Amino acid sequence: MSPVSGRGGEKEYWRTLEELAKSPEYEELLRREFPEGADLPPQHFSRRRFLQLMGASVALAGFSGCRWPKEEIVPYAHRPEGAVPGASRRFATTFEMGHRSTGLLVTSYDGRPIKAEGNPAHPVSAGTTDLYAQASVLGLYDPDRSRAPYRREGNGGAIVTWERFEEEARHIVTESAANGGAGLALLTGRSSSPSLGAMKARLLRAFPQARWYEYEPISWDSRREGTRIAFGAPYEVYADYGDARVILSLDNDLFGDDPAALRNAREIMARRDPDSREMNRLYVVESVFTTTGTVADHRLALKGSDIALFAGALMARLVAHHGVRPPDGFRSPEEGVVPERFVAAVASDLAQNRGRSVITAGANQGAAVHALVCDLNEALGNVGQTVRYIADDDPDRPSHAEAIGKLAVDMRAGKVDTLVLLGTNPVYDAPARIDFVSAMKKVRRAIHLGVYRDETAHRSNWHLPCAHYLESWGDARAADGTYCTVQPLIEPLYGGRTPAELIALLLGDETRTGYEIARRTMRESLDTGIDFEKFWRRALHEGIVPGTARPFAEPAVKRSAVAEAFGRLPKASAPFEVILHADQTVYDGRFANNSWLQEIPSHMTKLTWDNAANIGVATAKKLGVATGDLVRVTHGGGEITLPVFVTPGQAAGTAAIPLGYGRTAAGHVGSGVGVNAAAIRPADLSLILAGAKMEKVRGRKKLATTQAQYLIDNIGMQGRARRTAALVREGEFEAYRRDPAGALHGSHHPPLVNLWKELSTSGHAWGMATDLGKCTGCNACLAACQAENNIPVVGPDEVARGRGMHWIRIDRYFSGDVEDPDVTNQPLTCQQCENAPCEGVCPVGATQHSEEGLNDMVYNRCIGTRYCSNNCPYKVRRFNFFNNQKDLKEIEKMVYNPEVSPRPRGVMEKCSYCVQRIQNGKIAARNEGRPLADGEITPACAQVCPTGAITFGDLTDKASRVSKKHALHRAYYLLEELNIRPRNAFLARIRNTNPALTKEKESHGDTHG
Amino acid sequence: MSLKSKQHNLFLFPRWMNAVRPYIAVGMLLAPIYAVALIYYAFSPTTTMARYMPEQPVPYSHALHAGDLGIDCRYCHNTVEYGAAAAIPPTQVCMNCHATIRATSEKLAVVRESFESGMPIPWVRVHDLPDFVFFNHSAHVNRGVGCRSCHGRIDRMDTVYQEERLSMGWCLGCHRDPDPNIRPVASITDMTWEAPGDAARFGAKLREEKQIQPSEDCSVCHR
Repeated sequence: MSPVSGRGGEKEYWRTLEELAKSPEYEELLRREFPEGADLPPQHFSRRRFLQLMGASVALAGFSGCRWPKEEIVPYAHRPEGAVPGASRRFATTFEMGHRSTGLLVTSYDGRPIKAEGNPAHPVSAGTTDLYAQASVLGLYDPDRSRAPYRREGNGGAIVTWERFEEEARHIVTESAANGGAGLALLTGRSSSPSLGAMKARLLRAFPQARWYEYEPISWDSRREGTRIAFGAPYEVYADYGDARVILSLDNDLFGDDPAALRNAREIMARRDPDSREMNRLYVVESVFTTTGTVADHRLALKGSDIALFAGALMARLVAHHGVRPPDGFRSPEEGVVPERFVAAVASDLAQNRGRSVITAGANQGAAVHALVCDLNEALGNVGQTVRYIADDDPDRPSHAEAIGKLAVDMRAGKVDTLVLLGTNPVYDAPARIDFVSAMKKVRRAIHLGVYRDETAHRSNWHLPCAHYLESWGDARAADGTYCTVQPLIEPLYGGRTPAELIALLLGDETRTGYEIARRTMRESLDTGIDFEKFWRRALHEGIVPGTARPFAEPAVKRSAVAEAFGRLPKASAPFEVILHADQTVYDGRFANNSWLQEIPSHMTKLTWDNAANIGVATAKKLGVATGDLVRVTHGGGEITLPVFVTPGQAAGTAAIPLGYGRTAAGHVGSGVGVNAAAIRPADLSLILAGAKMEKVRGRKKLATTQAQYLIDNIGMQGRARRTAALVREGEFEAYRRDPAGALHGSHHPPLVNLWKELSTSGHAWGMATDLGKCTGCNACLAACQAENNIPVVGPDEVARGRGMHWIRIDRYFSGDVEDPDVTNQPLTCQQCENAPCEGVCPVGATQHSEEGLNDMVYNRCIGTRYCSNNCPYKVRRFNFFNNQKDLKEIEKMVYNPEVSPRPRGVMEKCSYCVQRIQNGKIAARNEGRPLADGEITPACAQVCPTGAITFGDLTDKASRVSKKHALHRAYYLLEELNIRPRNAFLARIRNTNPALTKEKESHGDTHG
Repeated sequence: MSLKSKQHNLFLFPRWMNAVRPYIAVGMLLAPIYAVALIYYAFSPTTTMARYMPEQPVPYSHALHAGDLGIDCRYCHNTVEYGAAAAIPPTQVCMNCHATIRATSEKLAVVRESFESGMPIPWVRVHDLPDFVFFNHSAHVNRGVGCRSCHGRIDRMDTVYQEERLSMGWCLGCHRDPDPNIRPVASITDMTWEAPGDAARFGAKLREEKQIQPSEDCSVCHR
């Protein structure tokens, strides 16, 4: 057998459950030439009316629009030094979101920030970003942003000036000075900002009776508490995956939720290159199918609360077979809950790679599991090698769950007179059990600072507009503690202020602006040398201050405490549980009004504009529900009703519900989308809801999912399937290493004959290579592409009709058992075929082949016949069924990239390999009289990709990275039997499977037939 | 009336059509003339805006500054060699000289006002390409396409007007045969530069030397 198998091999791939079952709906979808509704004739529009309009427009052609509008050029009166009108510039800043801070270089055109790229100097982002950073730019220009301070009185309220609030702030200063701040409480989200920390210290020094609470709905405090159990004091865990050969993730989405996701992705994937050196092996034990689960070599679907038992079983196995000394008082969990073979295989792999492995646990898991993970890493000799600890800079801080609970209790007890909410939205995201709303009623004066006038703002007496991070001066710390700067790219659009500036107001400080505060903090907290100005400017330029990472600590594990905490865990899990998690796109709800993120399909369900309870196939069968059926979920007195989504690979006995939906005051985009799962969340902020109930209720909901759209039809005829190349190819590392040449087996087709004259090309030949083994499905490329190419959003109804506009679609292929399938992600864009089928069928020549091999799309020529899309075998062309630019407000248009034309109604569009970047890169190189260097031109998707899965370059240059990838044995072209010669090569995914487990899987598969 | 005759009537022209018939005939006779006129008009210089000469907020004379005084184009349009736009200079540039020269002139009132208030002078755009065209000055200037090739004898214009058609056909004309318009990069702003001997042959030599291959691909200008 060839090491890399295609369709012809034994593995069968499927994209949806309907496809697997070959249901009639699926066959219908496959047969359809166009998405539903796309081929309908125009309605309410007679043929006669059409001819009348046609005739009139021909007759009146001469009268329309020959005169161009008079246009003005408004140059600077005083042009800043170095500014080139119409050219982009980049500035370093930092985007902070919950526990993560991402270093960015933000592109600004004539004063408008329009695109974020990763800051190569930043220790976490290192030149890449996640989808949130990409989409955060859209948030800056959100017309729903709060524009002025608002004062609520009784049932009414009015917009007021900042001066009016400053007056109020002076009252607060006087009151607090008199009573030492008694009754003053502040609530912030998680922030690593040294400035905010310094302001907090100042405030608590000035008003010692004041209370400062930090609360984050998606909290990593369970890890912090776990280290507190293990070491007696809280530490941050710093895993160095660059040296890890075996990685075990216990419910941790290393590439998604983890605060260091970008660094994880880079380091782990650097060691997953089957062509250069050894591969690491990634085991994932999880309940929800995460991005990490999709790239795992072995994934075990397990209930969230059983994962603790897995950790215990692993320890027991290591003790029994691999000479690990057990912690005092450790009792191994009962056998039979977790698959012994999996545990045994993982244990032996870990034991063979002592000091070269990492075990990590996710935010879902409780403190005891994190403590046990600390102990396991210690026992395996990983600490100091691959796992390090950094002392928490604020060890006395109560956990987020304690903080929000304590604050609510204080409020109810009437101890809070003035509540200041800095950029948080607890009315929406705090668990309903806490009942923050009723507690807030006891507060005399609630002041909310937020980018939006959100749910919490509506319950506060004062709402103040917060500055967007792209409008702010400030600072942050990266995951390793490196000092990062935050600088504004634009003046606050609506006079917003930062949290640090608000505290300065409440302190009555002289130093009031974020700029002054950030400078003062830097001067006080870093050794800036004699020339502060120079140090400051350099830090702003770089975005970070090198050498400011926090030192690693070497705390000793208190093993008996770990065993004790672990022993207190329940011995058996409830038969059913609900797992809450941060949504992949809208996160905890803070991005609910971001239409880009709402429309990005979630990586596993491909669901847009909604949340649903994801359940496995067996669970669905037991409940008698299908995708779209409504269920009622109850837990701890709360209940929600939402549709289910049957997701293969979701652990049996669990349902996963994303948080972040069901906003009521998010704005025009996000209000009323989905259901808020905070209604069933326990007060301790735990994300695993053991003992939750789920029952079917009447009704269905139509879900806007893209998963069955744009099917590539190569399975229509089974006979042909045998000789067609596979769409997805995979192989085993061991076999691939032995015989990489065998990889070419996937495609069997008759000799390819060209029907047309060979196209001649000259100069560069742009090409791309996409490594399927490295794509996690994180969706960062979709967001980056949308930001770069002015791609519109169309809303849930249009998405459901298959009219989504994303130029990239990440196809997600399942294979294997429906309960525990393997997943391979395949990002698909225009393949820039050399013999492009789309070009020949365009009646107006709107899609043309360029000399460099690009399949140019000329929007101003396109008349919208859609023949090209019809003839595209990959279904990667997108059609503007509506004028998606029409109803945009001026402020919304500010996010547009001026290098790319927005497309009007009736025009086809598609991936251009970011031709604007190609042209500008070529011009820049020619102007400087030098040849283009490899890697100088990078499309947005390749630039953002955290794992480096996408490579772009010139195929005529045999030394370029992309040429080398095209030459690999595992490189293949999609539908190459059509002789369309795509310029994009896919690299087959190579799994580094453990032989001990693959045998199990094979025998498992046999029994299933 | 029966249903049948009603349906029948649908396909009959109404009676008033009889009166309109002669006009329709005249209209049909005139239609070809209209079509020809329409096409002629569509491609006429009026439509392509050649000779478009709007009035500017400041009576700035290129003939005086670039012609008589001989100020190099790049003194004001200083981004032309490295930017896509040959940016209109900031007011600051005007005031470099006019702070002392004709400092009280009535004609310069708008300039002084702009300099003091920081508000821009609202110049009227003369050379206006459609928004779906991405033209890059630096790409042309650095290959030796002189200012004059597209803008004409600016040094003789008191008020700037559009010399060329700036249509796609016109652009492609040069992209297909650039030789007559290529000159040494050192002389790009020289309005009086003439090729020694045959312009096309001289340009061809320069094109060979600099390996200039103007592209005709759509995506060069449209993206």
